[in-house]
Amino acid sequence: MKPRRHIYTLLVVLATLAMAGCHHEEEWNNDAVGNFEALWQIMDQHYSFFAYKNVDWNEVHSRYRARVGNNMTNQELFELCGEMLKELRDGHTNLIASHDVSRYWIWEQYPVNYDERTIDEHYLNFDYKRVSGIKYQILTDNIGYMYYGNFAIGMGDGNLDLILSHLATADGLIIDVRNNGGGYLTNVEKLVSRFIDQRIHAGAITHKNGPGHNDFAQPFDYYFEPTKNHIHYLKPVVVLTNRSSFSATNNFVAIMKSLPNVTIVGDTTGGGCGLPFTSELPNGWRIRFSSCPITSPDGQLTEFGVEPDVKVDMTDEDLARGHDTILDRAIELLISTKT
Amino acid sequence: MNRRWIHIALAALATTIAQAQTVTDSLFVADQPLRPAMSMFMASVGHASILDSYLSPIRYKGLNLELDYEHMQNTGFDPQRWARQLTLGVEYDNVDNRVGDNTMHALMVDAQWGMMRRWQVAHNKLQVLCGPMTQARGGIIYDAANSNNVVSAKVRWSIGAMAMAQWNTRLARRPIALRYQASLPVVGVFFSPDYDESFYEIYLGNRSNLVHMGWWGNRFDFTQLLTADWHLGGTILRLGYRGRFETSWVNHLSTKIFTHSLVIGIGGEFLSVKRK
Repeated sequence: MKPRRHIYTLLVVLATLAMAGCHHEEEWNNDAVGNFEALWQIMDQHYSFFAYKNVDWNEVHSRYRARVGNNMTNQELFELCGEMLKELRDGHTNLIASHDVSRYWIWEQYPVNYDERTIDEHYLNFDYKRVSGIKYQILTDNIGYMYYGNFAIGMGDGNLDLILSHLATADGLIIDVRNNGGGYLTNVEKLVSRFIDQRIHAGAITHKNGPGHNDFAQPFDYYFEPTKNHIHYLKPVVVLTNRSSFSATNNFVAIMKSLPNVTIVGDTTGGGCGLPFTSELPNGWRIRFSSCPITSPDGQLTEFGVEPDVKVDMTDEDLARGHDTILDRAIELLISTKT
Repeated sequence: MNRRWIHIALAALATTIAQAQTVTDSLFVADQPLRPAMSMFMASVGHASILDSYLSPIRYKGLNLELDYEHMQNTGFDPQRWARQLTLGVEYDNVDNRVGDNTMHALMVDAQWGMMRRWQVAHNKLQVLCGPMTQARGGIIYDAANSNNVVSAKVRWSIGAMAMAQWNTRLARRPIALRYQASLPVVGVFFSPDYDESFYEIYLGNRSNLVHMGWWGNRFDFTQLLTADWHLGGTILRLGYRGRFETSWVNHLSTKIFTHSLVIGIGGEFLSVKRK
């Protein structure tokens, strides 16, 4: 009898434990209220910068929820949700519907500070090489120039070897990442590793480890190694930036800024130091948001951008006579370094 | 040696003629236990329902396709009481969200090996088997519309119990075996990223908190298979139903995968003898 009783006890315990695995999942109606609540809750549980940006998300809820009703059109709901998301001041936060994408693109409020045609015509004379999304050439005064406009475009090690061997004789190198809206962080590592000769601390990454606003895992320090058996460029380097240098580009600039032979010239970058995740509302709209904060090598969150070492804006006068003020300043800096 | 092979051939012929031999019986030839084995190839089509909160809080539903191989044979050490079973499978799910504007793809492979003790009841018409099993299963669920959480990786290994009940009868003068089988993992280990951890962070080297002890408090998996095996000479045709239930709750991440599918299969029986 006793063994049987033990078996029953064991079964009850196991069944109870199994019940613990039967967890409840939130479900929302596919109407205006349901979609609004889903959006608010997804952000509430996953967004990573509430404390950093001092946003009271509950207060935001009460303010916007009062304006939501099931008689709203999709367009009205989208506008209202987009407006609510702008409270987060985050370029990585977008509501994506079939008819529109809500956005907080800070660079739209600042000087453009980049004109591709001016560079192509007056600095490169329409004579440049282009591979793996990188445009490159040696300018007059023996200064190398490479423009990388999209970190989503992959580059092979062989391509980089050819680019850097072509630029090897230049006295200094300008890496132009203006208007580069980001892409893959693995390409950041690939590019940075060509400008270092020893292991560097590249920053730290963390992530939400629970739905609470302050639930974060211990930051994980990560390091970049110089690429082995490939060409490196260790002469002076200037990186050109503007407000449209965003996300992965922002990360690239933050790391390059920590290198002793690198100077950042131009405008503050666009920021975006949270690796974005994506979720979904019942009506199929996608919500992208900052999820995993990445700090710069000196431990700073660069969500609102990396400040340049030398702040320069392009002027209309320079542009009218075919000059890029930021590029001119970079060339001056490298020439002065040479002398 | 030749005499032994003649005996084997005669036994095999007798088995074919009788058309009543099943994998659960054993023959003896020259004091050697003959161990009937059954191999079966199966294809399944059915319905899948996937909720993976790492990818989306919305449940996705759609098509389930699966290919499986099953090999079942009495054991060498006590073939009348024990049988072992190996199953290998590959599964693909194509599921859509509620409004039908996004699709997820899931690809899983699995392997299961178990050994079961047999009890004969009802004049050997009903056989009940039960025993331990081990199971490995892994794959990915892919949502192309996502950003850095574009894929959810699933890997687990577990040990547990499996049970089978088989009723041997006849249909159209041919033997038919009606079988119900269930597999229930009890404990094991499985992979899960942290709540909002990116695979980029794992790539950078952060391997902490990825492997978890699995038990009924944080995951519950169950697979059942109901089949009718119709013996046509040495060939077996299978028709059946498979249900799979997978759920986990770890790091505040929830996974619930249910599949229900129609199974068809073709296989055969053969005899093997343990060589001295």
